[in-house]
Amino acid sequence: MTLQVAPPDVGTPQDSCVTTERRSGWLVVAEQESRDLWTSGRGLILLFLFSILLSAVTYLTSTNQALNFLEQRESVNLVLQLAVAVGVLVTLVVSADGISGERERGTLESLLITPVSRRSIIAGKLIAALTMWFATFLVTVPYVWVLARGVGILGEALALGFCVGTLVAVGLGSIGLLISGVCNSNKTSIAASIFLLLILFAPTQLPSGLPQGWFFEVLLRANPIASALAYISSMLVEGHSWSQDLSYLITPLLTAIIAGGALVLAGPRLVRLTPGVNAG
Amino acid sequence: MTLSHSGVYKDQAGPMTSMTVEAMRLTKHYGGRSAVEDVSFTASQGDIVGLLGPNGAGKTTTIRLLTTVLVPTSGEFSIAGHPSTSPNEIRRCVGVLPESSGYPAYQTGGEYLRFFARLYGLSRRNARSLAAELLATVGLADRAGSPISTYSRGMRQRLGIARALVNDPIVVFLDEPTLGLDPAGQAQVLDIIRTIAKSRAATVVLSTHLLPEVEDVCSKVVILHHGRVAVAGSVGEVISTALIEQSAELRVPLDMVERARNVLAGFPNLNVDQLAEQPDVLSLSVDGAGTGAGSSEVMNAALAAITAAGIPVLHFELEGARLSGAFFKMTSEAVA
Repeated sequence: MTLQVAPPDVGTPQDSCVTTERRSGWLVVAEQESRDLWTSGRGLILLFLFSILLSAVTYLTSTNQALNFLEQRESVNLVLQLAVAVGVLVTLVVSADGISGERERGTLESLLITPVSRRSIIAGKLIAALTMWFATFLVTVPYVWVLARGVGILGEALALGFCVGTLVAVGLGSIGLLISGVCNSNKTSIAASIFLLLILFAPTQLPSGLPQGWFFEVLLRANPIASALAYISSMLVEGHSWSQDLSYLITPLLTAIIAGGALVLAGPRLVRLTPGVNAG
Repeated sequence: MTLSHSGVYKDQAGPMTSMTVEAMRLTKHYGGRSAVEDVSFTASQGDIVGLLGPNGAGKTTTIRLLTTVLVPTSGEFSIAGHPSTSPNEIRRCVGVLPESSGYPAYQTGGEYLRFFARLYGLSRRNARSLAAELLATVGLADRAGSPISTYSRGMRQRLGIARALVNDPIVVFLDEPTLGLDPAGQAQVLDIIRTIAKSRAATVVLSTHLLPEVEDVCSKVVILHHGRVAVAGSVGEVISTALIEQSAELRVPLDMVERARNVLAGFPNLNVDQLAEQPDVLSLSVDGAGTGAGSSEVMNAALAAITAAGIPVLHFELEGARLSGAFFKMTSEAVA
């Protein structure tokens, strides 16, 4: 092997490091994480499974709609709610792998010794996880288009799904990264995240015939997923305006702010080689 | 610091002269368990420092402390003049190959290095040319476009070393870079290490279990045992400090063996035995207190007396004066 000993003459990293740290360290991490997510096939498999599920549900709802068991607005609402819930689920799964997965694969230490701050690393990982939500939403568009033809709610449904879904995805994606930072293993992190999502998703699946008193209302409004889906439903099915039931969005908004804030504040203590050790 | 090839060192170095690594009483506790205790040593520009010790001695923890991955419980250190209180500055001027470093299987070697170059602030274009250059440096130019999952272990280690050089570092930390490599792979990696220290004028801190190679490559050695520095210094100093009992084998023409024995009889502390299976070989050892430096003096004097008496020395081999001997003596508890 012939060694070329001349050092590179491609500029001085030192001059640019400050720029990277302040302006685009998170962007470089986000770009690479997103590329890894999609080129490794992990993102594509999740997206494929998502599209199969959505296809099945869309088929069933359109059949019911044709048999007059379901109103067209309700069909759109059903598919959009499912897209938001499952889109958020896959976002949560991807973010739950963010830190614990790197620890297990032995790739985290190399990242920690670069001048990019821990917060930038976390921000990059959250953005990469959110690409999963955006991709699932893109897949949802044609399904909603098929179901919403003729009732003039296509634009409203898509805008609603995108805004509400993004809000919930930011909040739960942040929670996924928080869980990933404190979990000892990747399996634990992903299992805990899915368990959390199922708990949050369960109230939305209760039969509508059950008595729904003030306790149910509190439970609904305290749950970021249930309240977000209720907001979508109130607009698409009941025809309320954007501002009419905004109180439903308080919990998703608070979740995004609190979880995102916790991520920013606790970031440097989360991104470390071993959870539970003061590694700075 | 003026030995930069690209001006990076000059910019990166803090207020310092040639001292690039200075660890002072570094201590790291995990709960009640001590991983590293009062570790102190220094290294200068161009030094290759061998960080030795049995498994669990604290080598990896020491490297993680010096590269700011871990925060010391107590003690201080500086890298290239930057104190431990400035971790960002330290990260800019160190390159690290962590122990059992993982690699993203789906990335190519080129993509991997470009990513890290961009994390250090290089533009896409500069990152691309730097990656190509570093891959050539470690002999992976022809595999730049191959996924890392197709690399052999040796190739991955060389890729890891290339990544450690992305920021043209002042200090390079290599944690067991030869682990699991065949002899040819080990030789390649050691060759690269020599090159880093010599041509890039970087300090290399090398953690390894290859004692003969360390003896050959390293200018300084730090032996850790139970998280503490058992001994530190040049290879010669470490061997001398270890006070290893020395012996020697002296071969002379068979008809001059008796004459040689008579000459050596003039050294009261020297035991001389004739080997039954090799009658032309005399085994020399120094009595009790005559170990370490004193032992060497007796051996030197004996050899001088033999040559002064006109007895041809066909072979003379000093035994025990090796780094491996010092290592085993200093870490004998672990070996036992």
